Amino acid sequence: MTQATTQTETKAEGFEPRIVAFVCNWCTYAGADLAGTSRLQYAPHVRIVKLPCTGRIDPLFILKAYEGGADAVLVSGCHPGDCHYTSGNYHARRRWTIFRRLLSLAGVEEGRLFFSWVSAAEGQKFADLINDVTAQVKAAGPFKHNPARRQAW
Amino acid sequence: MVANINEIQSAAAALLNEGKVKLVLGYRVRGNDRVPAFVTQADQVGCLAYDSACTQNLAAYLRKGEVRSRMPLAVVARPEVMRSLMLLTAESQIAEGQVTVLAVDEQGFHGVLDLAGTAKLLNEQYARIAPDSSLMEQLAKIEAMTPQERSAFWSEQFEPCTRCYACRAACPGCFCERCIVEMNTPQWISTAAESHGNFAWHMIRAFHQAGRCVECGACQDACPQGIPLMLLNHFIAREVEREFDARNGYDPQAEPVIGSWKQDDKQEYIR
Repeated sequence: MTQATTQTETKAEGFEPRIVAFVCNWCTYAGADLAGTSRLQYAPHVRIVKLPCTGRIDPLFILKAYEGGADAVLVSGCHPGDCHYTSGNYHARRRWTIFRRLLSLAGVEEGRLFFSWVSAAEGQKFADLINDVTAQVKAAGPFKHNPARRQAW
Repeated sequence: MVANINEIQSAAAALLNEGKVKLVLGYRVRGNDRVPAFVTQADQVGCLAYDSACTQNLAAYLRKGEVRSRMPLAVVARPEVMRSLMLLTAESQIAEGQVTVLAVDEQGFHGVLDLAGTAKLLNEQYARIAPDSSLMEQLAKIEAMTPQERSAFWSEQFEPCTRCYACRAACPGCFCERCIVEMNTPQWISTAAESHGNFAWHMIRAFHQAGRCVECGACQDACPQGIPLMLLNHFIAREVEREFDARNGYDPQAEPVIGSWKQDDKQEYIR
């Protein structure tokens, strides 16, 4: 994960952000699938990691993505009430509420961590979301002060 | 500010003599240090001591097999340690009847209590332990910084960390039998002999304290590098109270903050 991290720093102009998306299998991944089968065009900067449920998304995954040099992380799953496992997203939401505040205190600013609910029917919302997130991260530039990144000795 | 030590000693001796407990967990003096005392015989209670230098949180020993096999036991507990005991009860780590409390604070000895009695005392007398004002000032300063400055500030604070995990060992809330730092497929927290991995460790340690930390300060005292862990702990405790109206370690029946949820939890940041 760490060897490919220098690319983003050297190319400030023409910056192509590296965004990691952790999505649930049942809603957001299906929504992404719908966006694809509907031939919707959206920015190609997001690497999707599919998990069974947002409840499976350990905050460690988010840290690992930053350690590996992600410019931003997106976490997305089923709308409240729609979780395939009834309450996984409610559990996840509690974690996110605290974890994002903690990351903010530690120097991960707004615009480096995104959360959303995208259902299996919301292919258009997924495409719009990815476009919007990508545009925001592009505007913000490379995540140079990423506190999780390996520092040069 | 020495609590009346004779009272603690005689209460401990009585509990051991009557067979109500098999072990008394307390403090004793060793040079300039205060170290834990494990008293199993009534004639050993003379070593027990208590003063304001006894900052270690003895509830951390309750996860150890050698201690658990000697239940029921008694613990010399200041208010923060009592809160740890409430928390461990709420998280099903100890049961009513297993732990007796020898309640102490700066004023003195407050008697022998069971867990229910401890909950009552906590909520009546220590319901509002004022947070350290210097912590709040420092936090306010950090929060006023730009993200770049905050990132640099914490990198500097975490830099000396050797990941010895003394903070974890000192904490009664860290009771997982297998911690994520011992897992290596994948290696969640780097084991490299450099600062990489410090950020992930300190973030995840602080996050795992959400709904758990009773702000006893034992982790920061245990840290050989003087990393200001209480800043993170206090921040997390403050956010948990703001977001979920929960204060850790006051209700032995409380649902774990991160293990439970409400339908109407706030989500203004989720699009």
